[in-house]
Amino acid sequence: MQSVRIGPIRGHPRSVRISRRATQSRIAACLLATLLAVGGLSIADDDVAEVDRPSAASTPDVSALLARRCLECHSGLDPKGGLDLTERRRAIEGGDSGAAIVPGQPDESLLWQYVRDGRMPPEKPLSEKERDRLQAWIAGGAEYLLDPIDPLRYTTESRAGIDWWSLQPIERPAPPMIENSEAAAWAHNEIDRFVAAKLEKNGLAPSGTAERRVLLRRASFGLIGLPPTPEQLDAYLADTSEDAYEASVDRLLASEHYGERWARHWLDVVRYGESQGFERDKLRPNAWPYRDWVIDAFNNDLPYDEFARMQIAGDVLAPGDADAIAATGFLVAGPYDEVGQNQQSAAMRAVVRQDELEDIAGTLGQTFLGLTVNCARCHDHKFDPVSQREYYQLTAALAGVRHGERKIMTPDMEREIGTLTEQVTHLRQKIEKLEQPVIQAVLAERNADPAAKTAPQPISRWTFDDDLKDDIGPLHGDAHGLARVENGFLLLDGKDSFVSTVPLEQPLTEKTLEAWVKLHNLDQRGGGVVSLQSTDGRVFDAIVYGEREPARWMAGSNGWVRSQEFGGPAETEAADRPVHVAIVYSPDGTITRYREGRPYAEPYDSGGPVTFEADASQFVFGLRHGTAAGGNRMLTAAIDQIQVYDRALSAEEIAISAQRPEVVSYETIWKRLPAEQRAAYDALHAEVDAARQRIARLKDTRVYAVTPREAEPTHILLRGNPASPADVAVPAGMSAVCGVDPDFGLAADAPEAERRVRLAEWITSPDNPLFARVIVNRIWHYHFGAGLVESPNDLGFNGGDPSHPELLDYLAADLIEGGYRLKRLHRMIVTSATYRQASLARPECLKIDAANRLLWRKSPMRLEAEALRDAVLSVAGQLNPQVGGPPYQDFTTFVFNSQFYEMIDPAGFEFNRRTIYRTWLRSGRNSLLDAFDCPDPSTTAPRRAVTTTPVQSLALLNNSFILRMSDAMAHRVVSDAGEDEAAQIDRIYRLAYGRSASDREIARLSPFVEQHGLPALCRVVLNSNEFLYVE
Amino acid sequence: MLQDGTLQAAITPAEADDPWPHHPAPARRAIHICLCGGFSQVDSFDYKPALETYHGQKFGDIDSADVFFGQIGLLRQNDWAFEQRGESGLWVSELFPHLATVADELTVIRSMYAETSNHTPATFQENTGFRLNGFPTAGAWLSYGMGAETDELPAYVVIPDARGLPAGGSINWSNGFLPARHQGVVIRSQGTPIDDLFPAQDISPDTDAASRDLLADLNQRHLEARGFDDTMAARIKSYELAARMQLAVPEVTAIDGETEETHALYGIDHETTQDFGRSCLLARRLLQRGVRFVQLFSGGAFGSPRINWDGHEDMQQNHGREAARIDRPVAGLLHDLRRTGMLDDTLVVFTSEFGRTPFTQSASDVLGTGRDHNQYGFTTWLAGAGLKHGIAYGETDEIGWKAVVDRTHWHDFHATVLHLLGIDHERLTYYHNGIQRRLTNVHGHVIDAILDA
Repeated sequence: MQSVRIGPIRGHPRSVRISRRATQSRIAACLLATLLAVGGLSIADDDVAEVDRPSAASTPDVSALLARRCLECHSGLDPKGGLDLTERRRAIEGGDSGAAIVPGQPDESLLWQYVRDGRMPPEKPLSEKERDRLQAWIAGGAEYLLDPIDPLRYTTESRAGIDWWSLQPIERPAPPMIENSEAAAWAHNEIDRFVAAKLEKNGLAPSGTAERRVLLRRASFGLIGLPPTPEQLDAYLADTSEDAYEASVDRLLASEHYGERWARHWLDVVRYGESQGFERDKLRPNAWPYRDWVIDAFNNDLPYDEFARMQIAGDVLAPGDADAIAATGFLVAGPYDEVGQNQQSAAMRAVVRQDELEDIAGTLGQTFLGLTVNCARCHDHKFDPVSQREYYQLTAALAGVRHGERKIMTPDMEREIGTLTEQVTHLRQKIEKLEQPVIQAVLAERNADPAAKTAPQPISRWTFDDDLKDDIGPLHGDAHGLARVENGFLLLDGKDSFVSTVPLEQPLTEKTLEAWVKLHNLDQRGGGVVSLQSTDGRVFDAIVYGEREPARWMAGSNGWVRSQEFGGPAETEAADRPVHVAIVYSPDGTITRYREGRPYAEPYDSGGPVTFEADASQFVFGLRHGTAAGGNRMLTAAIDQIQVYDRALSAEEIAISAQRPEVVSYETIWKRLPAEQRAAYDALHAEVDAARQRIARLKDTRVYAVTPREAEPTHILLRGNPASPADVAVPAGMSAVCGVDPDFGLAADAPEAERRVRLAEWITSPDNPLFARVIVNRIWHYHFGAGLVESPNDLGFNGGDPSHPELLDYLAADLIEGGYRLKRLHRMIVTSATYRQASLARPECLKIDAANRLLWRKSPMRLEAEALRDAVLSVAGQLNPQVGGPPYQDFTTFVFNSQFYEMIDPAGFEFNRRTIYRTWLRSGRNSLLDAFDCPDPSTTAPRRAVTTTPVQSLALLNNSFILRMSDAMAHRVVSDAGEDEAAQIDRIYRLAYGRSASDREIARLSPFVEQHGLPALCRVVLNSNEFLYVE
Repeated sequence: MLQDGTLQAAITPAEADDPWPHHPAPARRAIHICLCGGFSQVDSFDYKPALETYHGQKFGDIDSADVFFGQIGLLRQNDWAFEQRGESGLWVSELFPHLATVADELTVIRSMYAETSNHTPATFQENTGFRLNGFPTAGAWLSYGMGAETDELPAYVVIPDARGLPAGGSINWSNGFLPARHQGVVIRSQGTPIDDLFPAQDISPDTDAASRDLLADLNQRHLEARGFDDTMAARIKSYELAARMQLAVPEVTAIDGETEETHALYGIDHETTQDFGRSCLLARRLLQRGVRFVQLFSGGAFGSPRINWDGHEDMQQNHGREAARIDRPVAGLLHDLRRTGMLDDTLVVFTSEFGRTPFTQSASDVLGTGRDHNQYGFTTWLAGAGLKHGIAYGETDEIGWKAVVDRTHWHDFHATVLHLLGIDHERLTYYHNGIQRRLTNVHGHVIDAILDA
């Protein structure tokens, strides 16, 4: 082992250990790159000699020269002029203009001719020295010392290479010693030593400690997003112990509100929304469990690596764990183009899917790696060492990720279902005791009366004995594809065969569909047995098998508007023999399903019924709906018989038709029961219904999360175009991330689950330097208003340099060593002297560092939109502190093809929850929150703008919420402080500003209160800068 | 105010670092008439005599046609007769008889193409350059890059169709990743014109005024105690601006004060045209008072009954109804802008997300009455400052199916619009997601051929 001291790279000193026996070439390459970066951008060949060289050579090495000045264009899948200079062989072969290099003969080499004449590189020719070197190199045989040369290896003036600072391994730097004794005394922890050293170097001194009341208000907003109560403030000021502040910090970190505060920050980054976006913008009523999972994770101080793993692959890492499924809501928190995903054109659907993958991969890359990988979808990344191939490798790891809802089951829910099931059994026993005598009597009568067994009369019947004719009515069928009649069955191959009838002669509203069908296999999905549809196939009611849930019979309908899938048992027999399936559509909209003559799942209100008009409607068999075969709508089966009725059959009629005469319906029993038993009988039924409904709801509890499918092969797409696929990409990481092997060891057809598990492992590896740097910087950003790197989602070339690179690495190393505990990091930051500085501007410092990048003070921060609303609720005494659960709705909604939201300001305790519990609609934005720069949830918002506009002032002055809270606050103040005006004013100050009002202030404000009332003063205070800013 | 025709410099400053204008700007403000649903080029501005010849015949290129609903019926001729109009001889059909009278003002682009035929992604691209949610609209970019010529009104105003918002609602005028202040502000023609303009409760004017005075006093003392702070000082100023906005907004929306003749010009005296007429007149008043960009929507969301240009079922019925609502108001607007001189430095833009197919949306052997979406060839037009007028640029093929000559992508269209507004589309940028983002992504060429050199 040899230790090498490396000079600054863009002002970033570090020490690097090099192993001469590094076995992984990737790591060797990374270290080599690090070494090559010595001395900044001008690299002498001698530098390379320090490391293992591929071969000894007498010719100069031009790897760096070629990489920096030529390979940007002459490399990759589609090199300029067809010339690829990354490999010696291909350089000699040349491009469109012929051989580029003739070894030993520069004047015969096109490469040299172009360079000599200044034609290449265009616009910025090589320096004389560089030209000499190139010429000498060709003359010396044009040996490639690195072959191939990775075009992304070196940082240049216009882009980052794999030697870029943020990609290098993290070594814990030692905190610098501080010479100045004042600064040394000021420093509280290691953070301060880094900050003080930098200040000192720039001729600046830190600010003194802020007043204690300011500190508490700052830490309180910073950690929990709420102001301290006057009582908390009093207790803190009264506590003179040395660690009073630290104790307060610990109290805040232990508060449940801490998770709410930091979850809101996180939701900004992950573009969390509760509606689909795009055209339909449908509500996502089951998205909130992800939000709660994030809150809980912060509150429980879930290690950050685990936090990340769960969001990427929780469902496969902890199978069956409802929380782990909810965690994957991260990947699908973005918009979903429902119309685009379902359009007819496969080519256009493919584009939409690629757009969706870009959203997912881009958000993942920026969130956890601070790499804008999305920029490499159409070409190699222009600024960072991410190749287009690697982009597709990353999307291959995510290729099975799909938006959707997943059922979840928790132990608590299971227990409740168990209790309810027992309850149902018990109630059923009571019911049976009442109804048995009646049933016996009815069956006895039926046996005595053959007429009672007469089956109901359909309006159409297709027996498929010889043909597709309707035996009763005029609705004869036509075969499509290979549909044919054989041995009394209609045979359907599930590909292109189906039957359609002539149009109805009479309209049909109330109806019953009935079929006897033998399925080819039980695992088919989505085929229709019999469907009544508009002739264009857009509106339909159908008996459908296995569409939304495998092996279940469902009443299919257009857009599932009259469908409800849950409740029925899985089919087990229909592949062995024909089973009887019937669906009854009652005039009141109730839909009842039957299988083998018995009710199948619970009846439900469909919101229907629909009238199928004469001449414009028809039946189709074997096709769920439509005018042509295709998709998952086709059934593979043999249908024995189909019957249709123009009315809703009773349970008995269905039973008789299915040859189950022993069924006696509720209506029959009720009529025959002794009158005095009917109330008890109904009450028992009501209880059973309620219990069953609750069971059904519990069994159908869903979260919006990743609903994985096995991945289709991922191709590299030229120019990002799905119509131009190139090589297949295997799931893998990015080689530029030094220290972690990007090879997932997975084949192109690897199982979906393994892809995300390996991806999660790669991202969260302690050797991945980006993972810790990014979160440390993000947290710093929220505490100080600016990150050590100013772009928290981008630690690449465009992200700029860190202000304190060593501090960033120190904190990152500490985070890893401390087991990725974020509360520990918060504590270190918030208790530092840096954080505790006063916020007043000092003119002499403004001159040197107006933006306060060097942290000579704590910059004042305006409350974000949510913190503002929460603080208003809090000081008005109206905050509903409930943690978690479904969101409150500050809108009314209606559907006109798209879902629309009209924003309202609902009054009431249930709406006075913290703003994170708002329903974060993509098109339903709140004017008050927006005025305070609440971001569009359609895209990641790593930092928020802080703007000042007249619209913002109008909102804070006039918005109904603010005025209502001003009234509530006035009411509260009277109740807290009594009738004394001075006490009231003082109370308002203590609530809103975290300080007492001075006598002079009280004297100034009293006349205003007398004339205009306390609510008017509260309104003014809620509008004031002292309330709105945290010092 | 621009009563005397003199222009003030941007009073609400731009936020972009690169100062506006990048070059002498022919236009200083713009109005965008945004038709939702896709209006038919072959029935309006792109005359295809061949369609009359082939009417009722099978579309020859049927195997390669990829349309939204997958149904390729027989070719259908234009449902409205075309005529050459004005001195320019520009072809305009009877679908827009009033617009036809101002044909000499129009600069028609007949060779537009889009990347998708799905309404919302196509509308996103029309307005933001990208197919996805989360990007700033052109209006937001202009607010960011140009600011406004007033500080009493927002820089970017949206007037939705009176029948309802477009699909996706406010997504369509989002700031995307730009600061939220740049999103479109909806101004309603009835009720409170903008949110929170006045107190939501009864507060006496006396108390309101005293409250503002007290607020100014508290903020001033707070500021003085702190030395100085830019943003806190700006907040004090913003309350003064807010008070002026409270006067300016009711004034600008009071269109009843305009003359009867003006009302008639915009069609406000007719039931069919009064909604859009009011919107157009309001737009003119807003621009006159220094608003930078007004976006008018013609058409609401999709679905049944149709309230936009999405003529899948019956073109005559659908486009007939929609055109009747806007034809006269838009023509009136152009007349009005011309006679007030505003058209000399105002840009008018008329677009929809895509066009419609020359064949009908029906079974392959049926001549239907509706047309499907067409991303491959469609028409937009511009009018006003800096343009060659009365010309048509670009061509679709013989039947109006695909753009073939001078094909124009939205990026080119946007680059041109920005150019006319004094902006180099490569210099109007904002850092987001690892890149200096632009309205034109990394593409776009200004269409020099339509510029008044």
